[in-house]
Amino acid sequence: MMLALEMFRSLPRTVVGRAVGPRMPGLLSGVAAPLRLATIEAPVVRRPGWARLRTRLSGICGSDLSMLSGGTSLYFSALVSLPFVPGHEVVADLAEDCDDLPAGTRVVVDPVLACAARGVEPCEGCAAGATNRCSRITVGDVSPGLQTGFCHDTGGGWGQQLSAHRSQLHPVPEALTDAQALLAEPLACAVHTALRAGVAPGDRVLVSGAGAVGLFVTLALRELTQAGEILVVAKHAHQRELALALGASEVVAPHEVLRRVRRATGAFQLRPELSSAYLLGGVDVALDAVGSKQSLETSLQATRAGGRVVLSGMPRPADLSAAWFRELEVVGSYASARAEPGGRSAFATALELAGHDALSRVADGVAAYPLHRWREALDHAHSTGRLGTVKVAFDPRRSQ
Amino acid sequence: MTRPGFVLEVDDRTPPLVVHEGLGFRLEDFPLGTRVIYPPESLPGIADVEGAVREALLHPVDSDPLPERLFAGMRLTIAFDDVSLPLPSMRRPDIRQRIIEQVLTMAAEAGVDDVEIIAANALHRRMTAAELEHIVGERVFRSFHPQGKLYNFDAEDRDALTHLGTTDRGEDIEISKRAAESDLLVYVNVNLVAMDGGHKSVGIGLASYKSLRHHHNAHTMVHSRSFMDHQKSAMHQSAWRIGRVIKDTVPVFQVETTLNNDVFPRPYEFLMKREWEWSVRDQASMLAARRGLALAPQKLRHKLFHDLRAPYGLTGIAAGEVEAVHEQTLARVHRQQLVEVQGTSDVLVMGVPYLGPYNVDSSMNPVLATCMGLGYYFNSYRGHPVVRRGGAVILYHPLDEGFNQLHHPSYVDFYEEVLAETTDPAVIGEKYERQFAEDPWYRHLYRTSHAYHGVHPFYMWYWAAHAMDHVGDVIWVGGDRRAAARLGFRAASTLADALEMASGTVGTSPSITYLHNPPHLLADVRV
Amino acid sequence: MGFLREGVDDVRRTARGWRWGRRSQVPRSAEPYVEPVRAQVFGSDWARRRPALAAREVAQKVGLEPVFRSQVRTRVEGLDVLDRVEGPVIFVANHASHLDTPLLLLSLPDEWRRRTAVAAAADYFFDTWWRAVGSSLLFNTFPIDRRGGSMSATPGEVLADGWSLVIFPEGTRSGDGWMHTFRMGAAYLSHTHDVPIVPVAHRGTFAAMPRGAGWPGRDEGGRRQLTVRFGEPLRAREGETVRDYAPRVREAVAALLDEDSTTWWEAQRRRATGSTPDPGGPDVATWRRVWAQTESPAGDPPSGPRRRVWQR
Repeated sequence: MMLALEMFRSLPRTVVGRAVGPRMPGLLSGVAAPLRLATIEAPVVRRPGWARLRTRLSGICGSDLSMLSGGTSLYFSALVSLPFVPGHEVVADLAEDCDDLPAGTRVVVDPVLACAARGVEPCEGCAAGATNRCSRITVGDVSPGLQTGFCHDTGGGWGQQLSAHRSQLHPVPEALTDAQALLAEPLACAVHTALRAGVAPGDRVLVSGAGAVGLFVTLALRELTQAGEILVVAKHAHQRELALALGASEVVAPHEVLRRVRRATGAFQLRPELSSAYLLGGVDVALDAVGSKQSLETSLQATRAGGRVVLSGMPRPADLSAAWFRELEVVGSYASARAEPGGRSAFATALELAGHDALSRVADGVAAYPLHRWREALDHAHSTGRLGTVKVAFDPRRSQ
Repeated sequence: MTRPGFVLEVDDRTPPLVVHEGLGFRLEDFPLGTRVIYPPESLPGIADVEGAVREALLHPVDSDPLPERLFAGMRLTIAFDDVSLPLPSMRRPDIRQRIIEQVLTMAAEAGVDDVEIIAANALHRRMTAAELEHIVGERVFRSFHPQGKLYNFDAEDRDALTHLGTTDRGEDIEISKRAAESDLLVYVNVNLVAMDGGHKSVGIGLASYKSLRHHHNAHTMVHSRSFMDHQKSAMHQSAWRIGRVIKDTVPVFQVETTLNNDVFPRPYEFLMKREWEWSVRDQASMLAARRGLALAPQKLRHKLFHDLRAPYGLTGIAAGEVEAVHEQTLARVHRQQLVEVQGTSDVLVMGVPYLGPYNVDSSMNPVLATCMGLGYYFNSYRGHPVVRRGGAVILYHPLDEGFNQLHHPSYVDFYEEVLAETTDPAVIGEKYERQFAEDPWYRHLYRTSHAYHGVHPFYMWYWAAHAMDHVGDVIWVGGDRRAAARLGFRAASTLADALEMASGTVGTSPSITYLHNPPHLLADVRV
Repeated sequence: MGFLREGVDDVRRTARGWRWGRRSQVPRSAEPYVEPVRAQVFGSDWARRRPALAAREVAQKVGLEPVFRSQVRTRVEGLDVLDRVEGPVIFVANHASHLDTPLLLLSLPDEWRRRTAVAAAADYFFDTWWRAVGSSLLFNTFPIDRRGGSMSATPGEVLADGWSLVIFPEGTRSGDGWMHTFRMGAAYLSHTHDVPIVPVAHRGTFAAMPRGAGWPGRDEGGRRQLTVRFGEPLRAREGETVRDYAPRVREAVAALLDEDSTTWWEAQRRRATGSTPDPGGPDVATWRRVWAQTESPAGDPPSGPRRRVWQR
């Protein structure tokens, strides 16, 4: 038996969350969240290659929050198996030997539950190493779930224990602290995003958003691509500083974005009736690292014709006129692949980046909560920007 | 009998004094011993304006009478100062209208067919049709505007510019082609302050960026001491070199006018009176105005102030050869504005009013407020700045009017992008001026909308360069703290606080001088 | 309630800065630039309209006269000349005290008093509104300029409206009780408007309330005696200039003073021989001049012992 936070099916809570969540996030940590702290059976998958893990730290991701607030599209309802324990950013210790890894090894988990983990023949995506594009994520040895943390059978990081397959595990180098290791999963996503962006040398890139995703993408862009100018949109002062430290050439406030891009690129600004202004001309590549309607539209409106817009947050519906009219390449970027362009695993790159000097501030600032203070933790996670944190996490080992 | 300007020394008998601050004014109790410079009282205006204009055109200085220079079949171009002069705009009829009408009457008598009338707005915003009509009058407007013969100068229309060569210092001279190829160019000026007019009229008013950049830059402006004194202004010296070349190729007939100091119409005349002479009625008007303004929302205050039209009187007019005319003009400007001041002081206090040359019917954004305070007002001196080197300047303005997107699009970027980086005029000029000047969107807005040219905010900053170079501390009383910080200055809520803050540079009992303008004044500082 | 509080602050600051209720002051350094005072004169036309007339009648009869009579004794002579002239006239008198105006006005017959206005220095009586209103209401004063030399337009208009005027041509109260030089304003007015001048001489006001005193003094517990004497009306002769006419006015007042202190016959004889004593007083030490004037004129010859009369 173990203590875990469990997401369960609750129509009224989901409806309430969907209705008021975006406006009153406070309610989500109160009555409206379809989440409960419960003592449940520890998840065990009795298949070869699977092992039990004891959670050290598990992060709260933006997608977790939007799921709790009912903001996630129903598209994903077929890809999860309720009730489940959330938490896909996990640093854990192996509770038992797992193939070549002895018990006690500190690992990070690549949450994607691809063919290898499910014990099925590799699909087209997995065969090519693009595990994040796996098309068998609802079948095989474990219940449906796109990732660990959305799957009933595997459990997730927000519980004291979970199960994971050897293919998901990446041992953590000794030099990294738990907090640094915690950043590996979001960094891996950032690495993937940066590589998906197809940045040509000298390209001007706009990163809309300076939360964890935006900041890590900025770092990945700077480290892995030959981007020229990287313009980051940040609301808060600490985000501004971090963005600059992580490689941004310039940081602007949300209301300045269009003007600044216009100025930097010599574009023309137009103002249509009853809606927001947009540019003819603009940056070569824009990355939406927020997922809100406004952020996505800003990205679309500030990108030059024929440019590329990368969706790295879970997107909301937005006006796609610019994508059509300006012939934009709108590309998605989901999770990370075992073999990124260049052949390396995103996690291997991410674990290298996690030791980056500029990230030590982020790692030091990780706010860890015990499970029973989950309402507080979610509340904190909702306003990380304002409160000067980048990452909020659960530490199920703690009781205080 | 008009009383001269003088320097008041605040004593225990002195009532509180008016200090302008944007869309309003306050009453300030200055520390005892503060010197307050008052401009001369408004000179009487000429009663027979029509007669004076005719007289000037028929008996010009160093030139044949205008009718003799007009002949059938000639190309005649009339250029005039734009909406940035005078401030505030003049009550109808504008003096330029009266002059242009007489010039046109003479041209019609001489049988001149090819006439074009150009607003010499250089890199200023294009004027609206209504603004043009206000300046030239209904008759002229109706006769020329619909045919496209009355228009704003476009400094980005390559086809309408001509390069007249360079000066001996290598300064490009590129001005309006039409003006340059005319058989006679009549320039109608309003010489509100000493910096206007002379060779600045054609050489700057009808010039393009290529030509202007030679003297509108941080280096020149730091060496213009002040730009209100054309003999000591590097900018004017450059304009004079350019003007002399123009004069050799283009026949220019300069008409310069000077106005008196009647800037506030009823019921705001009390703002032009010396406070201790205020009648009970003036005091009541002041109290009523203060309460009214406190109650009015910003939009209404903006409208109240910007709807004011000044009842200016004409103090003189001269026509003919540029330099000879300008000499007479300056003498008249000095008679109206010059005040003798003995010695400098540690602190200079100035109230920035609601209006400057570049926010007619627009908002006084922080960049313009800086230009007004540290540019125009600071430079209102001859000889030596009123404040000693390394002293402090205290300005009054709330800095809260924001930016007008129609008129000042490049200002927003300048403020948010350039000033965030640095406030050093020289660095700014070097690093960003080109980009802004050549930005296609700004060009487009300048040419087709009513936007100031992309490079214009830089000029505002250069205008203040001399002051920034000269003084040690700039503090805005009542100013928005964030705006002041962005400009590289500090903000205080009261004069006492500001003096406290300045004590680091000027000590705890500094000598203070307050420039009591508007109306316009020019301090003749004797050191 | 920032709006109200700021409003109150503004009013307070204005009241303090502009010295409400007191005379405004000019900063010392601005004094050389003060315009000759012409501004700041409050109009007094209202004081010659019907409502003000009624108010003045009440103020003079109910307020001024009882107080005045309770403080001084008066003797009035020569009122018969008024029977022989038609108004308006200009009363020209010597000036030694603030008592002169009430003395003159209260000595006039009612119908004359009601149609008489008093010329008062614009710079003193008309510089603040309350002084202007007070003196206009009580004494029917109107402003004249005593600095520039030329009178403002008002006296002529007042005369033209049929009002008699009281003018003190010395321009200010005498410092020692003796008569000083006359300005030409009164003669000029009489000359240009063809209005007779009635010379008036009075004595005792300096003794009763000299410059600086705020209330009439007493003489050994009794009321001070004042005398006032009206003389024959004067007119400019055919072809006479103001310059020649003005001295005659002063002579007439001087003769009246002489007459008042002696007798009519003696005064006439001295006048005829040109030996009327100089009303400017003897050329002696100031204290002696003042000394001579501090004595009240002799009152009515006592007619027997003073009796107390009981009203019953």
